[in-house]
Amino acid sequence: MTTELATPGEESAATSTILTIADAGEALRSGTTTSVELTTAMLEKATALNPALGAYVEITSDLALEQAEAADAAFSAGSDAGPLQGIPLAIKDIIKVAGVPTTANSRILDPAWGGEADAPVVARLRAAGSVFIGKSTTSEFALGQPDAEKGFPVPHNPWDVTRTPAGSSSGTGVATAAGLAFGGLGTDTGGSVRGPATVNGHSGLKVTFGRVPKAGVVPLGYSLDSIGPMARSAYDCALLLQVMAGYDAADPNAADVPVPSYTAALDGSVEGVKIGLPIPYFFDHDQLDPEVRDGVLSAVQALVGLGATSTEMELAHADKAQHANALILVGEAYAYHRNNMVQRWTTYGKYTRPGLVRGMFYTAADFVQANRFRVLWCEQVAKALQTYDVLITPSAPTTAQVAADMNPSQRLRQPSYTGQWNLSGLPAICIPTGFSSEGLPLSMQIIGKPFAEATVLKIADAYQRITDHHLQVPPVDALITTAA
Amino acid sequence: MHSIEEQFEKQLDQALESNGLTPLPEDRAALLKAFTTGREQAALVFSVAEARYEEPDLIFSASLS
Repeated sequence: MTTELATPGEESAATSTILTIADAGEALRSGTTTSVELTTAMLEKATALNPALGAYVEITSDLALEQAEAADAAFSAGSDAGPLQGIPLAIKDIIKVAGVPTTANSRILDPAWGGEADAPVVARLRAAGSVFIGKSTTSEFALGQPDAEKGFPVPHNPWDVTRTPAGSSSGTGVATAAGLAFGGLGTDTGGSVRGPATVNGHSGLKVTFGRVPKAGVVPLGYSLDSIGPMARSAYDCALLLQVMAGYDAADPNAADVPVPSYTAALDGSVEGVKIGLPIPYFFDHDQLDPEVRDGVLSAVQALVGLGATSTEMELAHADKAQHANALILVGEAYAYHRNNMVQRWTTYGKYTRPGLVRGMFYTAADFVQANRFRVLWCEQVAKALQTYDVLITPSAPTTAQVAADMNPSQRLRQPSYTGQWNLSGLPAICIPTGFSSEGLPLSMQIIGKPFAEATVLKIADAYQRITDHHLQVPPVDALITTAA
Repeated sequence: MHSIEEQFEKQLDQALESNGLTPLPEDRAALLKAFTTGREQAALVFSVAEARYEEPDLIFSASLS
């Protein structure tokens, strides 16, 4: 098969310049555009770019247009279900959507698995009038890295297709950055919302454990999993979370905690906010890219300029917290997958097999000690958050790595700054802080107290009101190809 | 006296056999790396948790929220 460059799909001037959910909502309500117009433009772009970017396992055109028509009809009838009505979104393909198979990017599941009903979080988005553009790619069972041999699309970073888009919520991250959705759902067990947000140059929020019900999602680590919003801006993440959050009895881990108004907190002010900067490991590691570190420190200075204060501090054993999270994660994952691994070893991808089977190599004592360590870590972080409103760290030690150079065992030996917050169950948002000398997105992470999503969103939003890094669009039109 | 690598290989084989897993020959190098890294990770976590044996109530008393 050969490919040739084609003319990008025609978009109206109105739809091509709308970047955020908030702006799309304004355009829909002012009559500048319609949901069908927005959805059609995104479907065309997603179809044209999916061979190059691998954002979607399945593009659900019929469903999306049906939802868009319903949203427009509701607007015409004076019915408004809120800011997500008529907004095209991507749903990670380990989350159930009624009428559409959920594959988890694996040949293990029955090909029709998951189509019987919406996951509660998807049902909430559907009731809010959202439009589902498609099921977005993930690493197999949200673990490991893409394996082209299994026949699923391999996701690529839209800023440089030779680079990783990170995982496991790769597709939602790529779709959001490339304009193939205004945002969507990811899941995060060790950084799977925040990693793609980091390297694809947009915002991604890992919520407090239990904040969003996770029934209807293929589990990875039972005590660590969360579903989080991914979108260009923190404000858009707040709009998504407003619909996603809240108790549901179908998830035994769902927290019955009141849901505040997230957007009401976003007033641009950080006056008096106390920021802790945990220096050891997060800022002084020899594998931390200086451009990443400097980007974070510049962003913190910008927040200080808005009235926040920052203080260098220390969290002991941050490296071991990352290891403890990984240990518990794969232990819980292996418990879920053991029978299939025994019976259907080769049906799993070549990168998933060694990743999952690590759970077998740990002993019961290892698992107990990791959970004892978890208590120590949680106590230490809780104490720090009595002094500081938030902690800020780099989101990752480097910019997006060259995909061909990555290997799973090497990754385990590199520093990582996200799993610590799954271990402690805390909310954490990653947002862009600029671009590296190679033109790749830089990012910082803001960590808050339990159920203080409003605080981390408020700080992220304040920063994004004085910067436009999150509004930069990767040059993807040149990637549009047609099969000859 | 067996080297650490030989001990890990033996433990890997025992773990695979006792769990009824039959990996492909080409998986072996990746499995050995995963096993070795896993043992290293566990040892690091163990080193901290072990020092707190006087606090048995630590286990599963974590408040996540």
